[in-house]
Amino acid sequence: MTLFTVVVRGLLRRPVRTGLTLVGISIGIAAVVALVGLASGYEKSIGKHLDMMGVDVVVSNIRGGFLPKAFDASLQPRVAKLPRVAETTAVLMEMQSIEDAPMMMVSGREWGGFTWGNLNLISGRMPRDGKEHAVILGRMAAEVLRKKVGDTVQIEAEELPVVGIVDGRAVIENGAIMLSLQVLQEVTGNQGKINFIDVRVSTSSSKEDVSRLCEQIKEIFPEGRAMVASEVVSTSQGFRIARAMSWSTSLLAIIVGVLGVMNTMLMTVFERTHEIGILLAVGWKRWRIVYMVLCESALLGLFGGLVGVALGALGIWVLEETTGIRSLLEPDLSPKLLVTSVAIAVVVGVIGGVYPGWRSSRLSPNLALQA
Amino acid sequence: MVEPAQIGSGDVVFETVELKKHFDGGKVVALRGVDLQIRQGEFVSVIGPSGCGKSTLLALLGCLDKPSEGTLTYRGQSIPDLPDPASYRSREIGFIFQSFHLLPTFTVVENVQIPMFEGKLSRAQRKERAVGLLKSIGLEHRLGHLPSELSGGERQRVAIARSLANGPSVLLADEPTGNLDSNSAQQIMELILQLHAEMGMTFVLVTHDLAIAERAYRTVSMRDGRVTSDRVSNHTATAAH
Repeated sequence: MTLFTVVVRGLLRRPVRTGLTLVGISIGIAAVVALVGLASGYEKSIGKHLDMMGVDVVVSNIRGGFLPKAFDASLQPRVAKLPRVAETTAVLMEMQSIEDAPMMMVSGREWGGFTWGNLNLISGRMPRDGKEHAVILGRMAAEVLRKKVGDTVQIEAEELPVVGIVDGRAVIENGAIMLSLQVLQEVTGNQGKINFIDVRVSTSSSKEDVSRLCEQIKEIFPEGRAMVASEVVSTSQGFRIARAMSWSTSLLAIIVGVLGVMNTMLMTVFERTHEIGILLAVGWKRWRIVYMVLCESALLGLFGGLVGVALGALGIWVLEETTGIRSLLEPDLSPKLLVTSVAIAVVVGVIGGVYPGWRSSRLSPNLALQA
Repeated sequence: MVEPAQIGSGDVVFETVELKKHFDGGKVVALRGVDLQIRQGEFVSVIGPSGCGKSTLLALLGCLDKPSEGTLTYRGQSIPDLPDPASYRSREIGFIFQSFHLLPTFTVVENVQIPMFEGKLSRAQRKERAVGLLKSIGLEHRLGHLPSELSGGERQRVAIARSLANGPSVLLADEPTGNLDSNSAQQIMELILQLHAEMGMTFVLVTHDLAIAERAYRTVSMRDGRVTSDRVSNHTATAAH
């Protein structure tokens, strides 16, 4: 018999209560895994999207919600003339409810621009020109909408034929409906409006050159911003909100977990006052009693964390299979996130056990024996 | 003051001078000034009616509680001022209680190992020692049983084995036969006497049963928180001649 045996026996003494506490911790940790995994996945997918397209700098409006507010397309030629700019392309992006899918990315891309270049045709064809009223679908978007080449997709009031299905190698592309910028502007009534200018800089540009370019763009577009592609996600207001929400929800779940463990361990200590008295009477040191209580609570956290990670992964899998969400999110269940979540659960357990452990160490052996 | 019986020939193990203990801010007085010396190897029974303070005295000797006033020493060292009371309870003292105080979710052999966590024995050594102790008191067939599966006498035997786990020099027994039928009580007393004879440790046994007290070599009587008599038992005195 080891101290671990004593700890496990303590937890198994009240299996239902231990089980319910485990469920509480598990749900909290599942929330951490699912929310942070989704937020992180979103961050990575945007990064991957920009990387695939070879975008170095992104110009957008400061204001806006999930997507930046649209601005006048006349800015694009002015940006294109700046030193170190090799190529620019304008994009109008919208989030719209398309048929059964609650939210879907609709991406209007300047015809002939480099953003078309990374799309691999799976079936059908690309639009013939920038004026053709037709769309191509990312492969996940096609699955979600259950569309194939020859079907139509309704955007605003217009039925647009699906002429091709593509693999964009990033979830943003694969979950999007793509069409010519000009056509999207016409269909949505946003003539002359865009909300992104994607910029490629000349290959010889250094980091300092790119930073200088961003400053120059800000000078000609004071209400906007120019960001190095790698910073787009971290400075995105929508992503900041999503990240804040995911962590604040996780924090709440963690607080609930701490209180749950504390309640359980306090009950355990109260119920086992007599046993603790016996342990003190036979010579156990007070620190060993505290250590035992902390080990019990940490073990609760560990198992709660492991179950929670499994539940979180399951939840994400369910979300991935959910129509509408599937095309937007690519969850990131990295080993780091999973290990961090389990570590959080253990810390939650230990914190929850501190006060009960302290209480148990304060017991008088004689009074505890009489309990 | 009652003159202490001079039975033990060894060093003084316990000494109390004007030992007092009260509870609830002085409302309840358990000990009103106890003077007592207990020597190495003595078998002392403390007898008296319920509420006379004998269990309180035992708790103070075992450092389960602290006195309110007076002096209380173990081999010359003040027990209330011990720097590490847990080590004192673990290494020097073995407790036997009326209600056995076994841990209900642990088996017999595990209960006996519990005090050994404070020692330096390995896991295997702890188990080996516990099994050895249980064999020596005839419980080798009960090793894997829970306390709830044992008779009262068997439970007390387990408690006795546990009290011996760390090889203490003193055993403190609080009404060890109080919850047992007469047959089991007789067997437990025989075991206690046998252990005392074989191991020579100091034994302090609290009881309200005169017949049990008479089995000890020295009987200290208490009433209302004071020692009223301290005498050598007749059979012991006879045996000594």
